[in-house]
Amino acid sequence: MNLTPAAGLELRQLCRDLGERRLLDRLDLKVAPGECLALLGPSGCGKSTTLRLVAGLDPASAGKVLLDGEDLTDRGPGERQVAMVFQSYALYPHLSVEGNLALGLKVRGVPVRERQRRIEAILDLLQLQELRLRRPAQLSGGQRQRVALARALLRQPRIVLLDEPMSNLDAQLREELRPELRRLLCGREQPVIYVTHDQQEAVGMADRIALLEGGRLQQVGSPRELYADPANRFVASFLGRPAINLLAMEPHRQLGLRPEHLRLGDDGAVAARLQRREWWGHQQLLWLDTPWGTVRVLTAPETPLPTEPRLSWQRQHELWFDPRSGERLAHGRI
Amino acid sequence: MKQRATTLLLMLPALLLLAAVFLYPLLRYGWLSFHASSVLTGLVPVPNGGANWLRLLSDARFWTDAGQTLRFAVCSVALELAGGLALALLLHQPLQGRGALRALTLLPWALPTTVMALGWRWILNDPHGPLNAAIRSLGGSSYAFLSTPATTWFFVVLADVWKTLPFVALLLLAGLQTIPVDLEEALRLEGASRVQILRRLTLPLLVPYIALALLFRLAQALGVFDLILVLSGGGPAGSTESLALYAYLNAMRFLDFGYAATVMLATFLLLLALLGGGWLLLRRGGIERTPDRAT
Repeated sequence: MNLTPAAGLELRQLCRDLGERRLLDRLDLKVAPGECLALLGPSGCGKSTTLRLVAGLDPASAGKVLLDGEDLTDRGPGERQVAMVFQSYALYPHLSVEGNLALGLKVRGVPVRERQRRIEAILDLLQLQELRLRRPAQLSGGQRQRVALARALLRQPRIVLLDEPMSNLDAQLREELRPELRRLLCGREQPVIYVTHDQQEAVGMADRIALLEGGRLQQVGSPRELYADPANRFVASFLGRPAINLLAMEPHRQLGLRPEHLRLGDDGAVAARLQRREWWGHQQLLWLDTPWGTVRVLTAPETPLPTEPRLSWQRQHELWFDPRSGERLAHGRI
Repeated sequence: MKQRATTLLLMLPALLLLAAVFLYPLLRYGWLSFHASSVLTGLVPVPNGGANWLRLLSDARFWTDAGQTLRFAVCSVALELAGGLALALLLHQPLQGRGALRALTLLPWALPTTVMALGWRWILNDPHGPLNAAIRSLGGSSYAFLSTPATTWFFVVLADVWKTLPFVALLLLAGLQTIPVDLEEALRLEGASRVQILRRLTLPLLVPYIALALLFRLAQALGVFDLILVLSGGGPAGSTESLALYAYLNAMRFLDFGYAATVMLATFLLLLALLGGGWLLLRRGGIERTPDRAT
């Protein structure tokens, strides 16, 4: 995306305090126009807080929210042209699908004819024509999500925010809806922030992932960067399933090895004994006892196990961490 | 079929109790309203055809009281709804000491009506009451508030509003608390003002609660008795007399039980008609909610 540096959304040293507690600590983040950024992290990490600050629903304690170089920090939520899809979808229960779409336009005084034109267009885009007269209570979870999305896109926003929009749907539907959501949201001209605690969803939806923990940004980058070159132990263990093995091999450094990078064979550095086997169909996960504790190894499902299995790995896959701070140590870095 | 019989059997004790408490008195009133039973008959019921009902139709006092009762109910309930809504919206705001404020608001409602009415009577006492004392200290002269129809009516309504407004506010506050916050936030993001949010979102979602409060309060206000008996005694010159008070006077002062029963039953039927209408409104205002919202 070759645009002027000011284009898109920029968060500058953004903070949010609630009483004594710091919910968000000096967050710096940029989202380019048309880019979809996933805010990922465990619950309470500050991702929803960030979203609410961008939307203007909560005031920032310090820092700035800039859009195309314009300072939005002191503007109310209604003056930011931000669209948000809530986790609960927040559909107005007393209004039909059409009424839900129309209310925002009415509030902003859009003339009737223009209103109808835009509603028709969005109903067509999201294939909601047949549901237009239904109340939210008469819709399925997936349909509600589509209506919420329609309502968000209808207002021709400058920023689109999504707060765990899939978490109320079952796993299968989530996977089905992901490409559709991507098609509708991403690649338009506005920046998109997608909050989720599900790394699969983040990888599937986003161009880049910003990983948060304890109100602090841990790392931001493409899914590949975060996976292959994590900034610290938290990033390494949050991304990738099954989780990375963390081995206290030496007193001053800790070795991280991903289960998919370990090999079992007759020769290798470490002796191991099979403890448990999880069969996943396309793969199997082996739990092995080693002198450094339990280690998870991912292999092809029919891999035969040597009588005295030993673990080996390639040097390039080693990730070293400081055992206390969790910071990534320089040596052994790719 | 068997299950239905069991259900009926299980409900029987409750139904019998209800019949004894509600149905029997009603039937008894119905029966009595076709009898003369007063001092003239030695308090022995003597059938008199429809004489009581004919008398009721041409009884100016009954119809005047009906008008007064209705006017009282409509005025006080309207004020209670408006004030209750304002108070509920205020108590719904995240204020400091909100819990204490909510408890404090409920105090007037917790006070027994008779005690409250006696209190008001003392406040309005001429010339010793605090209100007259205040007027005098400001250089005015005492006023007999309970001796003119207009002021008496005003204070009867005021006392009723003062006492029951907290109840309405509490009911509407409960309603406000069922509205998920994110609905309001979604509308705020659309650029809606507070007034627009109230009009387009809060009030429509509050309709079932408003209707419920309306129904409860109308039923109570149309049957108003103790407040008026204690505060004004129905006076001056019957100008604040309610239907319930008139029925009571017929029985307990004029010892005309046949006619008292007729007035009672007529009042009941009028109330039923009004509340039936209100109930229909409640059903029409019933809002379908999204049943499975997360968080």
